[in-house]
Amino acid sequence: MTEAAVHTEPQTLEVALKVWRYDSRTGERELVRYEVEAPDWVTLLDVLDIIKDRVDGTLAYRKSCRMMICGSCGMRMDGAAVLACRTRMKEIVEAGHVPVISAMGNLPIVKDLVVDMEPFWSKVRAMKPWLQSGYEEPPEHEWRASQEQMNVIHKEALCIMCGCCVSECNSMESDPEFLGPAALAKGMRFVGDPRERNQVERLNAYNEEHGIWDCTRCYFCNERCPKGVDPRDAIAKLGAESIKHGIDHDMGAKHAKWFVTSAKTTGWLRETELVPKTQGVVSAIKQTKFAMGLLRHGKVPLPFPPHVAEEVDEARALYNVVKQQGRDGALGHVQGERALARIDHPDDAGAHGGQGYRDSPDITPGEPPVQRDIGEDPHGQQTR
Amino acid sequence: MEGPHDVLVVGAGCAGMRAAIEAHDAGADVALISKIHPVRSHSGAAEGGINAALGNASDDDPEKHAFDTVKGADYLGDQDAIQVLCDEAPEDVYQLERWGAVFSRTEDGRIAQRPFGAAGEPRTAYAADITGHVLVHVLYEQIMRRDIPTYEEYFAWKLVVDDERCQGVVCWDILNGGLKTIGAKTVILATGGAGRLYTGTTNAYACTGDGMSMALRVGVPLKDMEMMQFHPTTLAPTGVLITEGCRGEGAYLLNSEGDRFLKRYAPNAMELASRDVISRAEQTEIDEGRGVNGNVLLDLRHLGAERIIERLHGTRELSLVFAGVDPIQEPIPVRPGAHYHMGGVDTDLWGQTSLDGLYAAGEVACVSVHGANRLGGNALMETITYGKRAGRHAADWALTHTTVEVPPSVEADAEHELKQLLDRTDGERPWQIRDELAATMHQNFGVFRREDQMQEQGRIVERLRERFERVVVDDKGTLFNNDVTQALELGFLLELADCMVVSGLARKESRGAHARPYDYPNRDDENYMRHTITRLDASGRPQLDWKPVTVTKWQPMERTY
Repeated sequence: MTEAAVHTEPQTLEVALKVWRYDSRTGERELVRYEVEAPDWVTLLDVLDIIKDRVDGTLAYRKSCRMMICGSCGMRMDGAAVLACRTRMKEIVEAGHVPVISAMGNLPIVKDLVVDMEPFWSKVRAMKPWLQSGYEEPPEHEWRASQEQMNVIHKEALCIMCGCCVSECNSMESDPEFLGPAALAKGMRFVGDPRERNQVERLNAYNEEHGIWDCTRCYFCNERCPKGVDPRDAIAKLGAESIKHGIDHDMGAKHAKWFVTSAKTTGWLRETELVPKTQGVVSAIKQTKFAMGLLRHGKVPLPFPPHVAEEVDEARALYNVVKQQGRDGALGHVQGERALARIDHPDDAGAHGGQGYRDSPDITPGEPPVQRDIGEDPHGQQTR
Repeated sequence: MEGPHDVLVVGAGCAGMRAAIEAHDAGADVALISKIHPVRSHSGAAEGGINAALGNASDDDPEKHAFDTVKGADYLGDQDAIQVLCDEAPEDVYQLERWGAVFSRTEDGRIAQRPFGAAGEPRTAYAADITGHVLVHVLYEQIMRRDIPTYEEYFAWKLVVDDERCQGVVCWDILNGGLKTIGAKTVILATGGAGRLYTGTTNAYACTGDGMSMALRVGVPLKDMEMMQFHPTTLAPTGVLITEGCRGEGAYLLNSEGDRFLKRYAPNAMELASRDVISRAEQTEIDEGRGVNGNVLLDLRHLGAERIIERLHGTRELSLVFAGVDPIQEPIPVRPGAHYHMGGVDTDLWGQTSLDGLYAAGEVACVSVHGANRLGGNALMETITYGKRAGRHAADWALTHTTVEVPPSVEADAEHELKQLLDRTDGERPWQIRDELAATMHQNFGVFRREDQMQEQGRIVERLRERFERVVVDDKGTLFNNDVTQALELGFLLELADCMVVSGLARKESRGAHARPYDYPNRDDENYMRHTITRLDASGRPQLDWKPVTVTKWQPMERTY
């Protein structure tokens, strides 16, 4: 290459990091501060590379593609999971901030920023993560499916298995056996696949203890996913698919179903009936004392007479609209406004620090995985 | 010794996983070794697609695919190998789909296909702009389904050769430390490319040419090592890939004057000319002062937001994060960057090398399907088709041969060599050598090549190899020590650079990726329609040889787009 090909000399930054060093064999743990000079375009990963090359070759972290697709470099910055290669440093440095870098949460640390991913993968394997198309004779060429049908699993198929969601998962923190957002999103990737024929068996398995209903819906997984997979949405879709298939033996399913019934019949949530409907009569009786306490403090209404909202007709009309649209199961899951807003990109996107920016165009769920004429769009609900 | 296995696959990207699946299904006991988890493999960074004449978007057939490939290769590809690829490609893609690959779809629900550079038909099957990601994950799903054991985060360092057969691999266990020898009746190298030889490269940190160098060290020849492809659309400063799919969808390349400059270089194909042609055109524009800070501009704006979001959302994300540019609103600054090694371990149509029991498939190999210039979308296809073929042949071979011998001296020698490296406390850290190698390769062995620069590069590499003899590894421990493996990777890269320079100097013509506009501007079929071959001599220096190109039915013609 000739001289003209060399890009203009970059400005440099003085970057400081504090890194939690750890050795699982000795249990030694230490917060070490590093300061290096770096070009102004560096990412967190680039800074770690400079430290490893020039300051301390024993610093351990994983890396490979440095372009947000291999999923190696998940770690925590100031306590929140990030991909190091996706995190630009300029804005952080200019703000005078010295971030603390540590290993991902909810997974055992091996050394420094390297975690043992085996618990992660064992949960992925528990999902039986391969297509079970079930047809006896495979199609001559490809299996036919419309783009709309495939769009149902568009976001789940983006998952790079980096573990950022698992790192932040509050349910997993209290129940290490919880299958967790990454594995469950992988599950939805198959449940929602129009070529899959084993949905019911899968949903039954995912409805067991430590399954979909153990999610606390804190949305940290959606918040920290660097690829816009939105694992919590995937879990919600699995819940909706379960109910559609009549799989409602878990309290979580019963709870969700009662919300709908209650809203439809009275326009309100009837808390006093929620407990027996969800947990059963015996459990509800045991909690009578607690309920009376709530009643005394005006926290729940009297169960009788049933309190009906003035505008209950509107609630019923809404219910009917959704029913008429046939949006049972995953299709009933409404994507949040925040997700839609991502299409209208912010002007100060990514390059100016990468903090909190997520660009993953949202896909409205398309045709359900049932047999319809390919390409038909009966509800006109596609954004495509 | 661990194992032994019938088939041991080194590398778990598309080629390695496809080979392992095939060998497993043929009844062999197969295991994978990978220095990173399989789904982290660089195949996952392939964006644009995979070429097969499915005929879903036009009237296409394998014959057209083969001709486009032969021509794209600037007639250095072996035509029998190309024919095999193009004939088997459609069924191999259907199989990926039946395994669950999430391909984009046509209106009638078939696998969608888009136009790609130098392809006469829209032949590139794709999954938006994350095709490699989708394939890596579907293959790993099939690995999990078959419960194929994987030696994860094992760094393959040396091939075990005994009785003139390859019988295993010596590895460094990154997670737990220590050398581990895994015995095997057959070994398939699927370790990918060596893009880390260059400063600006689309390649992952893992792409350090391990398999090429391991083969070279046991006397197996490398082929066409001068043929490094520069991809026309990579982001400054590090070379992050912007897919050819952008141009497949209709994006323009503009110079600083807003001019679609390709009309002067490839008036018919324009932005869909072959990669070597476009990279040279861009470099010429930049060199002649019509660049923008060392880049040209890739303009997607006229495609509209919807199409960009639907089919190129990964590109938009990369552009936003790494260039600070939203392609819906602004053109993306791009420039050529090292992308793909057409050269590699010389193999036959079943992936066999000159050493019994040793196979190679994917970018590490040179069958040769890509000749002097690879067409976009043909690399993923090669990993699948030739991964499958190598897996099947290795399994058949292993099931008819019985014993595995790993002489104790192999492990002892490796231990000794490693100890020497780890015991050294005084000397240079590897990074300076690594960075100098990458910067000078870019300078002296890039898009355009000059005799004097290549000679200078030969001297530079020689000096760097001397300095490498004295490098120091900081981490002496056994817990996730990848400081030592990064030093070993540099050793691999240096030897490959040497082979590239020797081959490049010998090829006194311009063909495909090897462009010598200053002294040999034309293709010379009379003297150089043949492969370069490099082997190491006793002193570790590359020796040059030649090998004929297989021509079946396409005689060389002038190549214009």
